[in-house]
Amino acid sequence: MSENFALMKGNEAIAESALRAGCRFYAGYPITPQSEILEYMSDHMAERGGVFIQGESEIASISMLWGAAACGARVMTSSSGPGYDLKQEGISYLSSYNLPAVIVDVMRYGVGDGEITEGQDSYWIATRGGGHGDSRQIVLTPASVQECADLTCLAFDLAEKYRTVVIILSDGGISQMIEKVVLPEAKEHDMNKFDWAIKSYKKPEEPKVKVTNLDRSMDYAEYDQMMRTKFKTMHENEQRWEEFMTEDAEFILVAYGISSRVCKSAVRLARKERLKLGLLRPVTVWPFPAKAFEKLTEQVKGLATVEMSLSAQMAQDVLLASKHRFPVYSYLTSKYVATPKGIVEYCWRALEGKEEELEVY
Amino acid sequence: MTVKKTKPSMINQQVGWCGGCGHGIIQRLIAECCEELGLAEKTVQVVDIACAYWSIDTLNCDGIAGPHGRCAAVATGIKKMRPDANVYIHAGDGCSYVIGLSETCYAAQRNVPITMIVVNNGIFGMTGGQMNLATTLVGDRTVSSKNGRDANIAGEPFDFLNIISNYDIAYAARGALYDPKHINETKKMIKKGFENQRDNKGFSIIEILSPCPTNWKMTPVQAMEKIKNENEKVFPLKGYVDKGGEN
Repeated sequence: MSENFALMKGNEAIAESALRAGCRFYAGYPITPQSEILEYMSDHMAERGGVFIQGESEIASISMLWGAAACGARVMTSSSGPGYDLKQEGISYLSSYNLPAVIVDVMRYGVGDGEITEGQDSYWIATRGGGHGDSRQIVLTPASVQECADLTCLAFDLAEKYRTVVIILSDGGISQMIEKVVLPEAKEHDMNKFDWAIKSYKKPEEPKVKVTNLDRSMDYAEYDQMMRTKFKTMHENEQRWEEFMTEDAEFILVAYGISSRVCKSAVRLARKERLKLGLLRPVTVWPFPAKAFEKLTEQVKGLATVEMSLSAQMAQDVLLASKHRFPVYSYLTSKYVATPKGIVEYCWRALEGKEEELEVY
Repeated sequence: MTVKKTKPSMINQQVGWCGGCGHGIIQRLIAECCEELGLAEKTVQVVDIACAYWSIDTLNCDGIAGPHGRCAAVATGIKKMRPDANVYIHAGDGCSYVIGLSETCYAAQRNVPITMIVVNNGIFGMTGGQMNLATTLVGDRTVSSKNGRDANIAGEPFDFLNIISNYDIAYAARGALYDPKHINETKKMIKKGFENQRDNKGFSIIEILSPCPTNWKMTPVQAMEKIKNENEKVFPLKGYVDKGGEN
């Protein structure tokens, strides 16, 4: 127990847990606020016998990842904001051949270069199919340093289970926060156990692996069906969420990551003011936890997302998951972390009909 | 005396390249070198998704086709995780010197012990014959430079091996395919590249002047003549770096 107990930043917890989950290849490029992941890997990867590469670009880094993942290794890269844009090519390729890989996006605020501070800018790009689209990746959203550790381990296991890219969608707040954490037990990964991986030696009569865009060992229709079945299975089996005081709630907040932490304080504050507020916190944002919304009854007068972005991004998923059964609002705090007081005041205004419902455009 | 030339057993399928294309010769030289050095069973091919892609089904070894231009980075990832494998790249000049210039330079800068074989045919073959910024000669007509490449608009082509000679790498050389003598010399270069990798001596790059009769709109013989009379003047056939010494 004691050797697994640590006080560390969210970013460091992700890096250390990745190593303990058997990650033996990391390539990345510095960008704030994810650089501690790269720095931690540069410091500790060699102790585990793995390979750390400081890449010449985000694109080169994820291309190296494509090669290492094809060898059956557990691999990870990380980025943020405009750096995450550049990862899309690799995410698309990894997804096309169903290679397991873990990609960390430590979100910040703003379009273009934006700001280096916390934000939740990348929800859409992370959840809508990486690269130029038409694929799905599991997206996990840690809301504490402990979850940075736990979800990183889970990410590697899910990546291997479904042969998929798993995205850890963190944010500048969670990444820089220092908290206590119980780290997972270290384990080794056997990169030779897969029949789909590139090996160092093969006899002439052995079947060979051809890692390409699309899996050309089957025809297009078969490939499409295989992918659709995989996406559907992940959607059915991997929805994760936390409910906080939702049983008797008349109004429910929906938030993830740094925003969800403030929402818990807001729920407690609201209840002092006799507003029965609850929080539904998605832990996976793809698959979006639609099952959590199925249970909600007419006792709920409305739902409000709390997001640190310019646009109401997750709110669209809430609208779909709740099947338009409730009014949906969005409290958007952009560059600034919401305050409990601000959230509660917004909820009162929404209940009094003084806030506009979400309009999708 | 009759000499029977047998096909390398690594080649197990027909290739898909156009008639008169140099890629097929290069493919055969690669297979011959791998077999002669006893490396066939350890070989992993990294091909670009342009014309070199045709070779992925042709060779009986593990293979991977990366995103366009990223071959050197993909090969780096493989070699780091499978250091005992014989990892080679078969890619064009668009992949290696244009969109993937950075990836090529940094695989060299890290001196990763891989063998990179670059096909310099002065054109974007797979996409229908557009100008290649790095290798299309000034004056050459392509579908994106219909009046001939104008240096005032598109700049001059450049000799990448001159640039890479400044890096701490094992080997850089340029060969051609327009007669048996040059094919044999090119084969020696490719072999040297594989030997360097086997002996862990560092990064080797072999560039090969190769004809593209389809997009040059020439006969195969005219295309070979053009390489000999024009391209070779800008891209000289020689060794640039050889730090590997005797293998």
